[in-house]
Amino acid sequence: MSAETTEANCSKTRNPFTGVEADAVSVRVDGLSKKFGDLAVLRNISFDVKPGEIFVIMGPSGSGKSVLLRHIAGLEAPTSGTVAVDGLDPTLEETRDRVRLALVFQEGALFNSLSVYDNLALYPREHRSGNEMAISERVMHALKILSVEKSANQFPSELSGGMKKRVSIARALVMEPQLLLYDEPTSELDPVMGATISEIIATLKNEYSVTSIVVTHDRDLALTISNRVGILMAGKLISLGTPGELRKSQEPRIVDFLNPKIDIEHPRFKQLETPENP
Amino acid sequence: MKQINAVLEGAGSMVMLLLRAGSYAGSLPRQWARFVEQCYLIGYTTLPIVTILSFFIGTVLALEAGYSMEGFGAKEFIGSLVGLSMARELGPMMTSVLLAGRVGSAITAELASMKVYHEVDALTTMNIPPAKILVLPRLAAVLVMMPVLIVFANIVGWFGGSVVARYVSSVGISSESYFAALRHYTKFKDVMNGMAKAEVFGFVVVLVCCNIGLNTRGGPREIGAAVTRAVVTSLILILILDYFVTKLLM
Amino acid sequence: MNSTQQTARVGLFFLLGIALVWVTFETLSDGKIFEPRSHTLIAGFDDLRQLKTGDEVRLAGVRVGSVQKTRLAGRHAEAVLEIDPKVPIAGDATATIAMSGLIGGNYVAIDMGTPGAPALADGAEIKTLTTPDLNTLMSDIGGLGKQLQESLGTFSAAINGDPKTGGGIIQKLEKILADNTARLNATMTNLQEITDKINRGDGTLGKLVNDPKLHDELLATVDEIKATATQAKEFVANAQSVMDQVKSGQGALGTLVYDPKAAADIKASIADLRSVSDKLAKGEGTLGKLINDDGLYDSAQVTIKKVDRTLDGLNDSGPITAVGIVANALF
Repeated sequence: MSAETTEANCSKTRNPFTGVEADAVSVRVDGLSKKFGDLAVLRNISFDVKPGEIFVIMGPSGSGKSVLLRHIAGLEAPTSGTVAVDGLDPTLEETRDRVRLALVFQEGALFNSLSVYDNLALYPREHRSGNEMAISERVMHALKILSVEKSANQFPSELSGGMKKRVSIARALVMEPQLLLYDEPTSELDPVMGATISEIIATLKNEYSVTSIVVTHDRDLALTISNRVGILMAGKLISLGTPGELRKSQEPRIVDFLNPKIDIEHPRFKQLETPENP
Repeated sequence: MKQINAVLEGAGSMVMLLLRAGSYAGSLPRQWARFVEQCYLIGYTTLPIVTILSFFIGTVLALEAGYSMEGFGAKEFIGSLVGLSMARELGPMMTSVLLAGRVGSAITAELASMKVYHEVDALTTMNIPPAKILVLPRLAAVLVMMPVLIVFANIVGWFGGSVVARYVSSVGISSESYFAALRHYTKFKDVMNGMAKAEVFGFVVVLVCCNIGLNTRGGPREIGAAVTRAVVTSLILILILDYFVTKLLM
Repeated sequence: MNSTQQTARVGLFFLLGIALVWVTFETLSDGKIFEPRSHTLIAGFDDLRQLKTGDEVRLAGVRVGSVQKTRLAGRHAEAVLEIDPKVPIAGDATATIAMSGLIGGNYVAIDMGTPGAPALADGAEIKTLTTPDLNTLMSDIGGLGKQLQESLGTFSAAINGDPKTGGGIIQKLEKILADNTARLNATMTNLQEITDKINRGDGTLGKLVNDPKLHDELLATVDEIKATATQAKEFVANAQSVMDQVKSGQGALGTLVYDPKAAADIKASIADLRSVSDKLAKGEGTLGKLINDDGLYDSAQVTIKKVDRTLDGLNDSGPITAVGIVANALF
């Protein structure tokens, strides 16, 4: 898995289950701004994600990463600017009919009223892909990849946070997406499972040419598997480049963000001290 | 101004939701299991409270009628009063109010929590429209279950009236003359009239509750607020619609 | 709970609901959907009054249908009656609009007609009879009192006469008595002689007097006079009870019905009537005395016949019957 590859080497998305090929999709964000009331969350963001690329968005909490992802998923409409998935507006139902798009939510967003199995089976059932046997095969395969096949008959409320995250990724896999969006895929996971997720993302890209956009603050994940990394701070895209370019960057905010140092003498630690008598 | 805007927005999103749900009507046979589940929740589990309430509405009607009609010696008309008011007005109205309180609040709570915990967003990205699998089965179920609930409410209410008419000494007319008056003045047309009303009320209650649930924004705290808003809006709409539907059906 | 059980419960609940809807329908509409289209009859009236669609049609008091609609047909109103096709309505049956109670509205009453009459066909016109309604009756009561007083006045004038001219029957009878005392005495003497002869059992006159046919005739005349007096008394009693009934009405309707003027009128008439009958009762002795005076007997007979006719006339007069009906219907 070469971190230096900037060009996607494959322009067809292959379905991991059926092997059917489809065009890999691109994402274009152009001048995107979003305001919630008077609060500007995203300010004039532009970037392109090429077909089959892994694009990582990093940034501190509250920088607007998740909102950006929701725009790409078509769950939010921009205040100004455009978002295009395969050249289409993702908020429209027709786009979702043409482009299979999956979003792995930070909290999992599993359907609480359905069992783990039914959570995964919902999509293929609703879209009538195959009979119940084929669906069962697909669901169990996806659960096995994430090592949660034993929880198939449990309900989401019975699962731990990490388990939920894995089921949620499995649910996204069952959809056989052309564009996979991850919101903090490795948070709440132990390092081993985190590595598994990284592997899955990379495999999907290399083997099946699935376009992936990952929102994370996992530095390792960002620097090892991504083709390009964008750094978002206070709603602005302050840097965009390959992991190699990023490492070489001298921009203090990026250096600070990528290499956090614990400096006991830093003024920010002082505020935790109990005020002594003057 | 802000309030007016909110009302218009609510009405608009409700119509949009209805149209969207309606556009998936063809998918209903494939959603049979969901439809049956909603029928169970809306019809079957609501029946006990509907029967209890209707029984006592019937008894109170008969008691009040007995008290007020005694003055001009028209106690024989208690049956017709209970029969007509139950079939035309109180049956449909009180059942819809119960529906709003019992089923509507549950619908809003469920959909609001699905919205707050991003389940609705997940459905959207999976290209499964919430209007199709969350709203349509409920609307269909309420249309099928409402007449059944109403006929139970009517019959239990009439029976409640007859019990008072017969056994309360201050009223004291025989069951025969009670039911004779009821049958004479209550036509099947009146029962149908009440059912038509109940269909409208029930449909609007479910639609309003779905809409408010799906439009919830913010954290878990908003779920409670959404439920309150949904029930209050439903009750107000029932009473306002009552006037217009009654006028329309006359 | 598994979903099969849930489906079964919903199914049961739904079927039960449908069954109850059907039961309600059957109970309230008598299952009209499957009945053949019922028979209609047309009843024309001058005035339909409160009759409206949905009111009952009763044959001899039993509900057999309802008023389907009411409409105008030229110069009169028509009610289209929907009749149970299983119940034949006689061709000469008469339909009237009747009141089912004071606030219960109207219904169409049909009588049985004659037994052998052919049944009316679907859509045929039924004979109708207009009966006075409550409002008309109320306004008639005042006029009725006046009418009654007039007829009773004529009657008493015939007996008492005008005091100025002194031409009354009783006065005339007294005058005849006073004028002919001497002759009567002579006649009585003669009569004494004749009766003596009769007692002795000789002469043709004795046979004549004892003739059973003549005797019977005399008895019959006396009976007729007695019957007339009883009839008059009965009438008075009837009138009194009608008035008592009307007067005793206390509620809103009592006040509506009770017209003090009419009541006073009727009372005065009754007093007149009673004095007449009293006089008649006393006059019996005088008439007995005058049994041998043929002329006088004849003229008395004629007068009595006149009285009889007057009474008959009074009995037959419609309004009184109507008052009776109203009074009985109301109280």
